[in-house]
Amino acid sequence: MRLKEGRDHHVYEVENMHLEPGLERRMGALGLTKGTRVEILNNQKEGAVIVKFRGTRFALGRKIADRILIREAAQ
Amino acid sequence: MEGAGAMGGISLTGQKVIRAGLIGNPNCGKTTLFNACTGANLKVANWPGVTVEKKEGQAAWQGREFRLTDLPGVYSLASYTMEEQVSKEFFQSGAVDVVVDVADASSLERNLYLTLQLLELGKPVVLALNMMDLVRERGLEIDLLLLSRLLGIPCVAISARERTGLDMLFYAMSCYQEYETPSPPVRKNHAPQRAENVSAEVNYPVIEDIMLQVVKGREKDMAAAPKTGPEAEHGQPDRTDRMDRYLTGKWLGLPIFLGIMVMVFFLTFAVGGWLKGYFETALELVSRETGFLLETWKVSPMLQSLIVDGIISGVGGILTFLPNIFILFLALGYLEDSGYMARAAFVMDDLMSRVGLSGKAFLPLLLGFGCSVPAIMASRTLENRRDRLKTILITPFMSCSARLPVYVLFSSMFFGKYAMAACYSMYLTGILTAGVTAWVLFKLDSSGTDHMLLIELPDYKAPDAKSIMLYVREKVKDYLSKAGTVIFLASIVMWLILNFGAEGYVTDMSRSFGAAIGRQAAPVFEPVGLGYWQIIVALISGIAAKEVVVSSCGVLFGIQNITAAGGMADFARVLGEMGFGIPNACALMTFCLLYVPCTAAIAAIRRETESKKLTAAFVLFQTAAAWIVSFIAYHGARAWMI
Repeated sequence: MRLKEGRDHHVYEVENMHLEPGLERRMGALGLTKGTRVEILNNQKEGAVIVKFRGTRFALGRKIADRILIREAAQ
Repeated sequence: MEGAGAMGGISLTGQKVIRAGLIGNPNCGKTTLFNACTGANLKVANWPGVTVEKKEGQAAWQGREFRLTDLPGVYSLASYTMEEQVSKEFFQSGAVDVVVDVADASSLERNLYLTLQLLELGKPVVLALNMMDLVRERGLEIDLLLLSRLLGIPCVAISARERTGLDMLFYAMSCYQEYETPSPPVRKNHAPQRAENVSAEVNYPVIEDIMLQVVKGREKDMAAAPKTGPEAEHGQPDRTDRMDRYLTGKWLGLPIFLGIMVMVFFLTFAVGGWLKGYFETALELVSRETGFLLETWKVSPMLQSLIVDGIISGVGGILTFLPNIFILFLALGYLEDSGYMARAAFVMDDLMSRVGLSGKAFLPLLLGFGCSVPAIMASRTLENRRDRLKTILITPFMSCSARLPVYVLFSSMFFGKYAMAACYSMYLTGILTAGVTAWVLFKLDSSGTDHMLLIELPDYKAPDAKSIMLYVREKVKDYLSKAGTVIFLASIVMWLILNFGAEGYVTDMSRSFGAAIGRQAAPVFEPVGLGYWQIIVALISGIAAKEVVVSSCGVLFGIQNITAAGGMADFARVLGEMGFGIPNACALMTFCLLYVPCTAAIAAIRRETESKKLTAAFVLFQTAAAWIVSFIAYHGARAWMI
């Protein structure tokens, strides 16, 4: 499923990313790669979503969150 | 920790000055550290050719001199952004003896990504772990010795805010010549490649491995906040998450943001306005006394007029706004340092996205309500050039505080008890015009950064007073330097235009060049109800500085004390006799709101866009927009009054 479809306070794992190369590398520098565990903190708005990975919180715009695919993480 | 500068690379004691470059993630406390080490010996400039800030400072420790350069916050050295490029080039240029990697210990995992890349530079690296107190609060411990061994570089624990560990850090920097060239752990597992080209997928497992060994008391779960100590049993989110529940909540986020903004503006306008009164009185005093002095020295009337009516009035007008500017930046600096601004970008993102901008664009627009100059400079926080240009274009539509006197004067004269409402409607009109402009541009070019927000939300922290004061000081200095240079010149030019005519020096303004220009331009302004040469000349004078429009009206219409009740009554009468009524007042206020910003703002636009052509285009657009919207206002008001 897409990151934008995730539920608050759940932890997921990044399955794949379909971002343009520059953005994907930037996300990589921030620590978001395949397999990274992501917790969704606030997905209540239609637009941006707040997530936490590798100990840091980020707000991601919908267009970015729509292109990151996630799956439920093994707890 | 503060010391005198050194000439060349040798200090007064004959030893070499140690040049250190401070680098680290955004929000890692690097700048707080820099401020703590260098005190007020600070020089802020731009890296050549780019609008990225470069800060240099000096420090002295145990007889050694240091020259510190504070680099912009970056997440990697891979050159995807200007900040990264500039930093990488700086380190490769050889202008640095030791790299100080400032890392936020509470986000160590991500900070180490940059560290691994720094190890590739072939220069001595010292890792300064900041915010260790936060780590301890979470019941965690970082084994510095082991970390140091794994990375092959010295690691020092510091607290930039508490100013602890600084001695150790300086000691570590001073020993830079004794360090072996670092060899990143990545090399041990893979064929030699530059770390920044090795993908994150390769680097992060190395980092995870390091973290597992070095951080004690943490769960294997990397994603969630470390759940250890008492928090683990109760599963409580930390303080930042608790506060975010309200500040970024679906229903509370926006109202809270608006409430905070109202408070900021209350402080800026009410408190600032109160202080401004004192500045105005002081200005009047200076103006009068200078006038007397010049009289007693028998200075020619022309020169007297130039000095008192031109320079003192023009530059002084800018200076009276200092309290407003100071308070505005104090409030915004406080919000930024506490970590709230990032949340505000998140909250505003939806609205901004509707017009094709990302949430980050709200800050320049917000600042525009205070003064366009720092607002235009604040557009640097937007990474995308198109975004920056779009924001710079519409920022002047945010009614700056200098335009307020015009609204107050004309709304008091023509709107009686609805004066306040009339003033507010100006602000709304400005916001609307900005929104429509942005929206139209968005429709024409859908490559906007709407819904592409990417911003870190740091932990909330109590703001650091020293950092804020340095930030405010820098912004105020910027504002003043604009006043000192551009406004000074513009005031003189304005004075020349209004006091010289075909006959030379004139005392009757209606015979000046300015008046001639005004009469020539009158036909163009007829359709918007502003076809009066005095009005046009007043508007022209507003190009120097918007506050000047009011005083120019006083001079042009021969009204003394135009802002006092008696003066206003006189002015209203004179205008009435000319056929200038409510619709004209609407048109004038609207035109004042939207047209060409002051020369200081134009200079800022020129600097940030780096293009004379774009600056001219922007200014023309704003004037055209002013004309169109004033047209609507004028005829709308006339229609409504029938």
